[in-house]
Amino acid sequence: MAASTPKAREGAWLWLVKIIAGVLILVVLGVHFVMNHMVAPGGLLTYADVVRYYQIPYVVAMEIIFLVTVVTHSFIGLRSILLDLNPSEPILKAATALLSVAGVAAVAYGAWLIFTIAGRG
Amino acid sequence: MSHERWTVTFIVSRRKGEQPPHFQSFQLEVDPDEYVLDGVERIWAFHDRSLVFRHACHHSTCGACGMLVNGVEKLTCITPIRSVTSNGGKVKVEPLRNFPVISDLSVDMSTFYTRMEETCAPQVVPVRGSALPYEKGLFEQADPAYERLADCIECGCCISACPVAVTTPEYQGPAVLAAAQQAFSLTGHAGLLEKMDGADGVWRCHSGFECTAVCPSNVDPAWRIMDLRRKVIGRRIKRLFGLAK
Amino acid sequence: MENQPSPKKFLYWFDPRHRQPGTWAFILNRITALGLTFYLVLHLVVLSNLTKGAEGYDTFLEFARQPVVKFGELLVIAAGLIHGLNGLRVVLTTFGIGVTIQRQVFWMLMALAAIGTAAFAYVMFFVA
Ligand code: SF4
Ligand code: SF4
Ligand code: FES
Repeated sequence: MAASTPKAREGAWLWLVKIIAGVLILVVLGVHFVMNHMVAPGGLLTYADVVRYYQIPYVVAMEIIFLVTVVTHSFIGLRSILLDLNPSEPILKAATALLSVAGVAAVAYGAWLIFTIAGRG
Repeated sequence: MSHERWTVTFIVSRRKGEQPPHFQSFQLEVDPDEYVLDGVERIWAFHDRSLVFRHACHHSTCGACGMLVNGVEKLTCITPIRSVTSNGGKVKVEPLRNFPVISDLSVDMSTFYTRMEETCAPQVVPVRGSALPYEKGLFEQADPAYERLADCIECGCCISACPVAVTTPEYQGPAVLAAAQQAFSLTGHAGLLEKMDGADGVWRCHSGFECTAVCPSNVDPAWRIMDLRRKVIGRRIKRLFGLAK
Repeated sequence: MENQPSPKKFLYWFDPRHRQPGTWAFILNRITALGLTFYLVLHLVVLSNLTKGAEGYDTFLEFARQPVVKFGELLVIAAGLIHGLNGLRVVLTTFGIGVTIQRQVFWMLMALAAIGTAAFAYVMFFVA
Protein backbone atom coordinates (compact mmCIF):
# COMPACT_ATOMS: atom_id res chain seq x y z
CA MET A 1 0.00 0.00 0.00
CA ALA A 2 1.44 3.37 -1.01
CA ALA A 3 0.89 6.32 1.26
CA SER A 4 -0.53 9.36 -0.51
CA THR A 5 1.91 12.10 -1.45
CA PRO A 6 1.70 15.09 0.86
CA LYS A 7 -0.35 17.89 -0.66
CA ALA A 8 1.29 21.30 -1.15
CA ARG A 9 -1.61 23.67 -0.37
CA GLU A 10 0.32 25.79 2.10
CA GLY A 11 3.98 26.33 1.38
CA ALA A 12 6.86 28.17 2.93
CA TRP A 13 5.95 31.51 1.31
CA LEU A 14 2.37 31.61 2.50
CA TRP A 15 3.50 30.59 5.96
CA LEU A 16 6.19 33.28 5.94
CA VAL A 17 3.70 35.94 4.84
CA LYS A 18 1.45 34.97 7.76
CA ILE A 19 4.35 35.08 10.20
CA ILE A 20 5.81 38.35 8.90
CA ALA A 21 2.36 39.96 9.02
CA GLY A 22 2.02 38.66 12.59
CA VAL A 23 5.33 40.17 13.67
CA LEU A 24 4.47 43.46 11.92
CA ILE A 25 1.21 43.61 13.87
CA LEU A 26 3.15 43.35 17.11
CA VAL A 27 5.57 46.08 16.00
CA VAL A 28 2.83 48.44 14.77
CA LEU A 29 0.81 47.89 17.95
CA GLY A 30 3.84 48.70 20.07
CA VAL A 31 4.65 51.90 18.16
CA HIS A 32 0.98 52.85 17.99
CA PHE A 33 0.59 52.44 21.73
CA VAL A 34 3.54 54.65 22.58
CA MET A 35 2.71 57.32 19.97
CA ASN A 36 -0.92 57.44 21.01
CA HIS A 37 0.11 58.33 24.49
CA MET A 38 2.00 61.31 23.15
CA VAL A 39 -0.55 62.41 20.55
CA ALA A 40 -3.73 61.88 22.51
CA PRO A 41 -2.86 61.36 26.18
CA GLY A 42 -6.46 61.33 27.36
CA GLY A 43 -7.76 59.00 24.65
CA LEU A 44 -10.12 59.81 21.79
CA LEU A 45 -13.29 60.71 23.59
CA THR A 46 -15.35 62.55 20.99
CA TYR A 47 -15.95 62.46 17.27
CA ALA A 48 -14.04 65.74 16.88
CA ASP A 49 -11.06 64.14 18.63
CA VAL A 50 -11.08 61.28 16.17
CA VAL A 51 -11.23 63.54 13.14
CA ARG A 52 -8.41 65.70 14.49
CA TYR A 53 -6.39 62.58 15.21
CA TYR A 54 -6.75 61.40 11.63
CA GLN A 55 -5.19 64.61 10.31
CA ILE A 56 -1.79 63.27 11.36
CA PRO A 57 -0.24 61.50 8.35
CA TYR A 58 1.60 59.03 10.58
CA VAL A 59 -1.70 57.91 12.08
CA VAL A 60 -3.22 57.25 8.68
CA ALA A 61 -0.13 55.30 7.59
CA MET A 62 -0.16 53.20 10.75
CA GLU A 63 -3.84 52.46 10.42
CA ILE A 64 -3.41 51.34 6.82
CA ILE A 65 -0.46 49.06 7.65
CA PHE A 66 -2.37 47.69 10.61
CA LEU A 67 -5.46 47.04 8.53
CA VAL A 68 -3.57 45.20 5.82
CA THR A 69 -1.45 43.08 8.17
CA VAL A 70 -4.32 42.14 10.46
CA VAL A 71 -6.60 41.12 7.63
CA THR A 72 -3.80 39.18 5.90
CA HIS A 73 -2.74 37.39 9.06
CA SER A 74 -6.22 36.48 10.20
CA PHE A 75 -7.47 35.32 6.82
CA ILE A 76 -4.44 33.15 6.06
CA GLY A 77 -4.84 31.89 9.63
CA LEU A 78 -8.46 30.94 9.03
CA ARG A 79 -7.36 29.01 5.97
CA SER A 80 -4.74 27.21 8.08
CA ILE A 81 -7.41 26.14 10.55
CA LEU A 82 -9.42 24.79 7.65
CA LEU A 83 -6.34 22.91 6.42
CA ASP A 84 -6.10 21.20 9.80
CA LEU A 85 -9.45 19.66 8.93
CA ASN A 86 -8.10 18.10 5.72
CA PRO A 87 -10.72 19.65 3.41
CA SER A 88 -11.46 18.27 -0.05
CA GLU A 89 -9.99 20.13 -3.02
CA PRO A 90 -13.26 21.89 -4.06
CA ILE A 91 -13.98 23.03 -0.50
CA LEU A 92 -10.46 24.40 -0.09
CA LYS A 93 -10.65 26.16 -3.47
CA ALA A 94 -13.98 27.75 -2.57
CA ALA A 95 -12.70 28.81 0.84
CA THR A 96 -9.52 30.28 -0.64
CA ALA A 97 -11.55 32.28 -3.17
CA LEU A 98 -14.00 33.44 -0.52
CA LEU A 99 -11.25 34.46 1.90
CA SER A 100 -9.33 36.31 -0.82
CA VAL A 101 -12.39 38.27 -1.92
CA ALA A 102 -13.46 38.98 1.66
CA GLY A 103 -9.91 40.02 2.55
CA VAL A 104 -9.63 42.48 -0.33
CA ALA A 105 -13.12 43.80 0.43
CA ALA A 106 -12.27 44.27 4.12
CA VAL A 107 -9.10 46.20 3.28
CA ALA A 108 -10.91 48.34 0.71
CA TYR A 109 -13.73 49.10 3.12
CA GLY A 110 -11.31 49.87 5.96
CA ALA A 111 -9.22 52.15 3.77
CA TRP A 112 -12.34 53.95 2.59
CA LEU A 113 -13.36 54.49 6.23
CA ILE A 114 -9.94 55.86 7.15
CA PHE A 115 -9.84 58.28 4.22
CA THR A 116 -13.43 59.38 4.73
CA ILE A 117 -12.70 60.40 8.30
CA ALA A 118 -9.37 61.96 7.40
CA GLY A 119 -11.10 63.95 4.66
CA ARG A 120 -13.46 65.62 7.13
CA GLY A 121 -10.75 67.63 8.86
CA MET B 1 13.66 -5.89 41.65
CA SER B 2 11.97 -5.17 44.92
CA HIS B 3 9.83 -7.69 46.77
CA GLU B 4 6.98 -5.26 47.10
CA ARG B 5 3.57 -6.47 46.00
CA TRP B 6 0.90 -4.15 44.70
CA THR B 7 -2.67 -4.85 43.78
CA VAL B 8 -3.62 -2.84 40.72
CA THR B 9 -6.60 -2.85 38.37
CA PHE B 10 -5.82 -2.97 34.69
CA ILE B 11 -8.63 -1.42 32.69
CA VAL B 12 -8.14 -2.68 29.18
CA SER B 13 -9.77 -1.41 26.02
CA ARG B 14 -11.33 -4.31 24.10
CA ARG B 15 -12.53 -4.24 20.57
CA LYS B 16 -13.21 -6.98 18.06
CA GLY B 17 -14.15 -6.33 14.46
CA GLU B 18 -16.78 -3.67 13.98
CA GLN B 19 -18.04 -3.82 17.55
CA PRO B 20 -17.81 -0.60 19.53
CA PRO B 21 -14.91 -0.64 22.01
CA HIS B 22 -15.53 -1.29 25.70
CA PHE B 23 -13.37 -1.57 28.79
CA GLN B 24 -12.68 -4.72 30.75
CA SER B 25 -11.11 -4.73 34.21
CA PHE B 26 -8.58 -7.21 35.55
CA GLN B 27 -7.21 -7.17 39.05
CA LEU B 28 -3.57 -8.17 39.19
CA GLU B 29 -1.01 -8.63 41.87
CA VAL B 30 2.20 -7.13 40.60
CA ASP B 31 5.66 -6.08 41.58
CA PRO B 32 5.60 -2.31 41.05
CA ASP B 33 8.93 -2.50 39.27
CA GLU B 34 7.48 -4.75 36.62
CA TYR B 35 6.53 -3.05 33.40
CA VAL B 36 3.05 -2.28 32.12
CA LEU B 37 3.59 -4.74 29.27
CA ASP B 38 4.25 -7.49 31.83
CA GLY B 39 0.82 -6.83 33.27
CA VAL B 40 -0.85 -6.93 29.85
CA GLU B 41 0.98 -10.13 29.05
CA ARG B 42 -0.13 -11.69 32.32
CA ILE B 43 -3.75 -10.86 31.53
CA TRP B 44 -3.32 -12.66 28.21
CA ALA B 45 -1.53 -15.61 29.83
CA PHE B 46 -3.80 -16.21 32.82
CA HIS B 47 -7.09 -14.39 32.26
CA ASP B 48 -8.03 -14.01 28.63
CA ARG B 49 -6.28 -15.67 25.73
CA SER B 50 -8.23 -13.62 23.23
CA LEU B 51 -6.51 -10.36 24.21
CA VAL B 52 -4.62 -8.97 21.21
CA PHE B 53 -1.60 -6.71 21.64
CA ARG B 54 1.75 -6.21 19.96
CA HIS B 55 5.14 -6.83 21.48
CA ALA B 56 8.40 -8.45 20.55
CA CYS B 57 11.70 -7.32 21.96
CA HIS B 58 10.74 -6.24 25.51
CA HIS B 59 13.67 -3.82 25.56
CA SER B 60 12.59 -0.70 23.66
CA THR B 61 14.06 -1.72 20.33
CA CYS B 62 11.28 -3.04 18.12
CA GLY B 63 8.77 -0.28 18.79
CA ALA B 64 5.82 -2.68 18.81
CA CYS B 65 4.43 -2.06 22.29
CA GLY B 66 3.32 1.57 22.18
CA MET B 67 -0.01 2.04 23.97
CA LEU B 68 -1.98 4.71 25.74
CA VAL B 69 -1.41 4.24 29.48
CA ASN B 70 -3.64 6.35 31.71
CA GLY B 71 -4.14 8.68 28.77
CA VAL B 72 -0.48 9.11 27.84
CA GLU B 73 1.53 7.38 25.11
CA LYS B 74 4.02 4.94 26.61
CA LEU B 75 6.36 2.31 25.33
CA THR B 76 4.88 -0.25 27.69
CA CYS B 77 7.90 -2.57 27.84
CA ILE B 78 9.98 0.09 29.59
CA THR B 79 7.24 1.80 31.59
CA PRO B 80 7.38 0.63 35.22
CA ILE B 81 3.96 0.15 36.79
CA ARG B 82 5.28 2.28 39.66
CA SER B 83 5.59 5.27 37.34
CA VAL B 84 1.96 5.28 36.25
CA THR B 85 -0.06 4.30 39.32
CA SER B 86 0.09 3.53 43.03
CA ASN B 87 -0.80 0.52 45.16
CA GLY B 88 -4.52 -0.12 44.80
CA GLY B 89 -4.61 2.18 41.77
CA LYS B 90 -5.70 1.82 38.18
CA VAL B 91 -3.80 1.32 34.95
CA LYS B 92 -5.94 2.18 31.96
CA VAL B 93 -4.55 0.66 28.77
CA GLU B 94 -5.81 1.73 25.35
CA PRO B 95 -4.57 1.40 21.78
CA LEU B 96 -2.54 4.27 20.31
CA ARG B 97 -4.68 7.09 18.96
CA ASN B 98 -4.88 8.15 15.31
CA PHE B 99 -4.40 4.64 13.92
CA PRO B 100 -7.19 2.23 12.95
CA VAL B 101 -7.66 -0.50 15.55
CA ILE B 102 -7.09 -4.04 14.28
CA SER B 103 -8.13 -5.74 17.50
CA ASP B 104 -8.05 -4.71 21.17
CA LEU B 105 -4.73 -2.96 21.71
CA SER B 106 -3.12 -3.48 18.33
CA VAL B 107 -3.37 -0.86 15.63
CA ASP B 108 -2.70 -0.74 11.90
CA MET B 109 0.50 1.23 11.32
CA SER B 110 1.01 0.30 7.65
CA THR B 111 0.48 3.81 6.24
CA PHE B 112 2.89 5.16 8.81
CA TYR B 113 5.53 2.57 7.92
CA THR B 114 5.10 3.32 4.21
CA ARG B 115 5.61 7.01 4.85
CA MET B 116 8.70 6.27 6.91
CA GLU B 117 10.07 4.20 4.06
CA GLU B 118 9.30 6.92 1.54
CA THR B 119 11.63 9.33 3.35
CA CYS B 120 14.46 6.87 2.61
CA ALA B 121 15.82 7.64 6.07
CA PRO B 122 18.83 5.43 6.75
CA GLN B 123 18.25 2.82 9.45
CA VAL B 124 21.94 2.90 10.29
CA VAL B 125 23.72 6.20 10.80
CA PRO B 126 27.31 7.23 11.56
CA VAL B 127 27.73 7.52 15.31
CA ARG B 128 29.51 10.81 14.93
CA GLY B 129 26.91 13.43 14.18
CA SER B 130 24.02 11.21 15.24
CA ALA B 131 23.37 13.21 18.40
CA LEU B 132 21.06 16.21 18.43
CA PRO B 133 23.07 19.45 18.07
CA TYR B 134 22.11 20.63 21.55
CA GLU B 135 23.55 17.49 23.14
CA LYS B 136 26.89 19.18 23.36
CA GLY B 137 29.93 17.03 22.73
CA LEU B 138 28.06 13.73 22.59
CA PHE B 139 29.72 11.28 20.17
CA GLU B 140 32.01 14.00 18.90
CA GLN B 141 35.11 11.88 19.41
CA ALA B 142 33.60 8.77 17.83
CA ASP B 143 35.56 6.97 15.15
CA PRO B 144 34.06 8.08 11.79
CA ALA B 145 33.80 4.44 10.79
CA TYR B 146 31.45 3.56 13.64
CA GLU B 147 27.76 3.29 12.94
CA ARG B 148 24.67 2.69 14.99
CA LEU B 149 20.94 2.22 14.55
CA ALA B 150 18.97 5.42 14.03
CA ASP B 151 17.11 6.53 17.15
CA CYS B 152 13.56 6.25 15.87
CA ILE B 153 12.06 2.83 16.60
CA GLU B 154 8.86 3.62 14.68
CA CYS B 155 6.66 3.06 17.70
CA GLY B 156 4.09 5.62 16.57
CA CYS B 157 3.74 7.20 20.03
CA CYS B 158 4.42 10.66 18.60
CA ILE B 159 1.72 10.32 15.91
CA SER B 160 -0.70 9.21 18.60
CA ALA B 161 0.07 12.25 20.75
CA CYS B 162 -0.04 14.82 17.96
CA PRO B 163 -3.07 17.15 18.11
CA VAL B 164 -2.89 17.72 14.36
CA ALA B 165 -2.90 14.04 13.49
CA VAL B 166 -6.24 13.82 15.33
CA THR B 167 -8.07 15.61 12.56
CA THR B 168 -6.08 14.96 9.42
CA PRO B 169 -4.90 11.52 8.33
CA GLU B 170 -2.95 13.19 5.55
CA TYR B 171 -0.51 14.93 7.88
CA GLN B 172 2.83 13.17 7.52
CA GLY B 173 3.31 13.35 11.26
CA PRO B 174 6.22 13.94 13.62
CA ALA B 175 8.20 10.71 13.13
CA VAL B 176 8.03 10.96 9.35
CA LEU B 177 9.08 14.62 9.32
CA ALA B 178 11.87 13.80 11.78
CA ALA B 179 13.01 11.00 9.49
CA ALA B 180 12.99 13.38 6.54
CA GLN B 181 15.07 15.84 8.55
CA GLN B 182 17.61 13.18 9.46
CA ALA B 183 17.70 11.80 5.93
CA PHE B 184 18.23 15.27 4.49
CA SER B 185 20.99 16.02 6.97
CA LEU B 186 22.81 12.88 5.91
CA THR B 187 22.11 12.84 2.17
CA GLY B 188 21.33 16.43 1.20
CA HIS B 189 18.59 15.08 -1.06
CA ALA B 190 16.61 18.23 -1.90
CA GLY B 191 13.54 16.32 -3.04
CA LEU B 192 12.77 15.68 0.63
CA LEU B 193 12.52 19.41 1.31
CA GLU B 194 10.18 19.89 -1.63
CA LYS B 195 8.04 17.00 -0.50
CA MET B 196 7.64 18.27 3.06
CA ASP B 197 7.13 21.93 2.09
CA GLY B 198 3.36 21.81 2.18
CA ALA B 199 0.16 21.66 4.17
CA ASP B 200 0.64 17.97 4.96
CA GLY B 201 4.30 18.54 5.79
CA VAL B 202 6.21 20.91 8.08
CA TRP B 203 3.66 23.75 7.99
CA ARG B 204 0.87 21.78 9.62
CA CYS B 205 2.74 21.46 12.94
CA HIS B 206 1.62 23.74 15.80
CA SER B 207 4.76 23.59 17.89
CA GLY B 208 2.89 21.72 20.59
CA PHE B 209 5.90 19.52 21.37
CA GLU B 210 3.66 16.62 22.38
CA CYS B 211 5.65 14.33 20.10
CA THR B 212 8.91 15.22 21.80
CA ALA B 213 7.34 14.73 25.22
CA VAL B 214 6.22 11.17 24.52
CA CYS B 215 9.07 9.95 22.30
CA PRO B 216 10.76 7.13 24.21
CA SER B 217 13.85 7.18 22.04
CA ASN B 218 15.31 10.69 22.15
CA VAL B 219 14.39 11.52 18.56
CA ASP B 220 12.98 14.93 19.54
CA PRO B 221 10.71 15.09 16.49
CA ALA B 222 9.53 18.65 17.23
CA TRP B 223 13.10 19.93 17.29
CA ARG B 224 13.72 18.19 13.98
CA ILE B 225 10.53 19.65 12.45
CA MET B 226 11.66 23.14 13.41
CA ASP B 227 15.05 22.40 11.87
CA LEU B 228 13.44 21.05 8.72
CA ARG B 229 11.38 24.23 8.43
CA ARG B 230 14.54 26.31 8.41
CA LYS B 231 16.03 24.05 5.77
CA VAL B 232 12.88 24.36 3.64
CA ILE B 233 12.81 28.16 3.97
CA GLY B 234 16.54 28.33 3.29
CA ARG B 235 16.13 26.39 0.08
CA ARG B 236 13.16 28.52 -1.02
CA ILE B 237 15.17 31.69 -0.52
CA LYS B 238 18.14 30.26 -2.39
CA ARG B 239 15.88 29.29 -5.25
CA LEU B 240 14.42 32.78 -5.31
CA PHE B 241 17.89 34.13 -5.97
CA GLY B 242 18.69 31.39 -8.42
CA LEU B 243 21.27 29.78 -6.15
CA ALA B 244 19.60 26.37 -6.19
CA LYS B 245 17.38 24.72 -8.72
CA MET C 1 -15.54 6.44 18.63
CA GLU C 2 -13.42 5.33 15.70
CA ASN C 3 -9.74 5.43 16.46
CA GLN C 4 -8.49 6.89 13.18
CA PRO C 5 -8.03 10.59 12.47
CA SER C 6 -11.11 12.49 11.36
CA PRO C 7 -11.99 16.17 10.93
CA LYS C 8 -15.04 15.45 13.08
CA LYS C 9 -12.72 15.09 16.03
CA PHE C 10 -11.77 18.77 16.00
CA LEU C 11 -13.07 19.20 19.55
CA TYR C 12 -10.13 17.08 20.69
CA TRP C 13 -7.90 20.03 19.82
CA PHE C 14 -9.35 21.79 22.83
CA ASP C 15 -8.95 18.93 25.30
CA PRO C 16 -6.16 20.00 27.68
CA ARG C 17 -6.00 16.72 29.63
CA HIS C 18 -2.65 14.92 29.66
CA ARG C 19 -1.25 17.63 27.44
CA GLN C 20 1.97 19.63 27.47
CA PRO C 21 2.24 23.42 27.78
CA GLY C 22 2.85 23.44 24.02
CA THR C 23 -0.65 22.14 23.42
CA TRP C 24 -2.15 24.51 25.97
CA ALA C 25 -0.45 27.24 23.96
CA PHE C 26 -2.00 25.82 20.80
CA ILE C 27 -5.45 25.70 22.41
CA LEU C 28 -5.12 29.28 23.63
CA ASN C 29 -3.91 30.39 20.24
CA ARG C 30 -6.74 28.77 18.38
CA ILE C 31 -9.43 30.18 20.67
CA THR C 32 -7.94 33.68 20.66
CA ALA C 33 -7.46 33.49 16.87
CA LEU C 34 -11.14 32.80 16.33
CA GLY C 35 -12.12 35.41 18.92
CA LEU C 36 -9.91 38.10 17.46
CA THR C 37 -11.08 37.41 13.92
CA PHE C 38 -14.66 37.74 15.09
CA TYR C 39 -13.73 40.99 16.80
CA LEU C 40 -12.03 42.26 13.63
CA VAL C 41 -15.23 41.83 11.65
CA LEU C 42 -17.31 43.36 14.44
CA HIS C 43 -14.91 46.27 14.75
CA LEU C 44 -15.05 47.06 11.04
CA VAL C 45 -18.83 46.99 11.08
CA VAL C 46 -19.14 49.12 14.21
CA LEU C 47 -16.71 51.73 12.92
CA SER C 48 -19.10 52.54 10.11
CA ASN C 49 -20.73 54.66 12.82
CA LEU C 50 -17.88 57.09 12.26
CA THR C 51 -19.20 57.98 8.83
CA LYS C 52 -22.50 59.03 10.36
CA GLY C 53 -20.88 62.17 11.66
CA ALA C 54 -20.51 63.65 15.12
CA GLU C 55 -23.88 62.77 16.56
CA GLY C 56 -24.00 59.11 15.61
CA TYR C 57 -20.47 58.49 16.76
CA ASP C 58 -20.76 60.28 20.07
CA THR C 59 -23.86 58.26 20.95
CA PHE C 60 -21.87 55.18 20.11
CA LEU C 61 -19.00 56.28 22.34
CA GLU C 62 -21.48 56.83 25.15
CA PHE C 63 -22.51 53.21 24.73
CA ALA C 64 -18.87 52.10 24.64
CA ARG C 65 -18.27 53.57 28.09
CA GLN C 66 -20.52 51.00 29.75
CA PRO C 67 -18.62 48.58 32.02
CA VAL C 68 -19.81 45.54 30.03
CA VAL C 69 -18.37 46.94 26.82
CA LYS C 70 -15.18 47.87 28.62
CA PHE C 71 -14.90 44.33 29.91
CA GLY C 72 -15.33 43.06 26.37
CA GLU C 73 -12.52 45.37 25.30
CA LEU C 74 -10.36 43.97 28.06
CA LEU C 75 -11.02 40.46 26.74
CA VAL C 76 -9.85 41.58 23.31
CA ILE C 77 -6.68 43.04 24.81
CA ALA C 78 -6.02 39.84 26.75
CA ALA C 79 -6.62 37.73 23.65
CA GLY C 80 -4.33 39.96 21.62
CA LEU C 81 -1.55 39.69 24.20
CA ILE C 82 -1.89 35.92 24.52
CA HIS C 83 -2.03 35.36 20.78
CA GLY C 84 0.75 37.81 19.97
CA LEU C 85 3.18 36.59 22.61
CA ASN C 86 2.41 32.95 21.88
CA GLY C 87 2.95 33.63 18.22
CA LEU C 88 6.36 34.98 19.13
CA ARG C 89 7.17 31.63 20.70
CA VAL C 90 6.21 29.80 17.50
CA VAL C 91 8.40 32.15 15.45
CA LEU C 92 11.32 31.77 17.84
CA THR C 93 11.16 27.97 17.93
CA THR C 94 10.85 27.79 14.15
CA PHE C 95 13.99 29.85 13.78
CA GLY C 96 15.81 27.71 16.29
CA ILE C 97 15.71 30.01 19.30
CA GLY C 98 14.82 28.50 22.66
CA VAL C 99 13.57 25.22 21.21
CA THR C 100 14.81 23.18 24.15
CA ILE C 101 13.40 25.64 26.70
CA GLN C 102 10.09 26.31 24.91
CA ARG C 103 8.11 25.32 28.02
CA GLN C 104 9.80 27.96 30.14
CA VAL C 105 9.45 30.48 27.32
CA PHE C 106 5.71 29.72 27.23
CA TRP C 107 5.25 30.35 30.95
CA MET C 108 7.31 33.51 30.79
CA LEU C 109 5.32 34.95 27.88
CA MET C 110 2.00 34.03 29.48
CA ALA C 111 3.09 35.74 32.69
CA LEU C 112 3.82 38.82 30.58
CA ALA C 113 0.35 38.56 29.01
CA ALA C 114 -1.24 38.37 32.47
CA ILE C 115 0.72 41.37 33.73
CA GLY C 116 -0.15 43.33 30.59
CA THR C 117 -3.84 42.52 30.93
CA ALA C 118 -3.83 43.50 34.60
CA ALA C 119 -2.16 46.81 33.76
CA PHE C 120 -4.75 47.57 31.09
CA ALA C 121 -7.57 46.61 33.44
CA TYR C 122 -6.23 48.96 36.09
CA VAL C 123 -5.98 51.89 33.69
CA MET C 124 -9.35 51.22 32.07
CA PHE C 125 -11.39 50.78 35.22
CA PHE C 126 -9.62 52.90 37.81
CA VAL C 127 -7.74 55.65 36.01
CA ALA C 128 -9.61 56.52 32.83
S1 SF4 D 1 5.03 19.57 17.73
FE1 SF4 D 1 4.00 19.38 15.77
S2 SF4 D 1 4.30 17.27 15.14
FE2 SF4 D 1 4.79 17.39 17.33
S3 SF4 D 1 2.90 16.81 18.34
FE3 SF4 D 1 2.89 19.02 18.14
S4 SF4 D 1 1.82 19.50 16.24
FE4 SF4 D 1 2.36 17.31 16.22
S1 SF4 E 1 9.96 9.63 16.74
FE1 SF4 E 1 9.99 8.69 18.76
S2 SF4 E 1 7.83 8.45 19.30
FE2 SF4 E 1 7.91 8.79 17.11
S3 SF4 E 1 7.93 6.78 16.19
FE3 SF4 E 1 10.07 7.42 16.41
S4 SF4 E 1 10.70 6.62 18.39
FE4 SF4 E 1 8.48 6.52 18.36
S1 FES F 1 8.33 -4.71 22.98
FE1 FES F 1 9.81 -3.97 21.57
S2 FES F 1 9.81 -1.86 22.07
FE2 FES F 1 8.48 -2.64 23.58
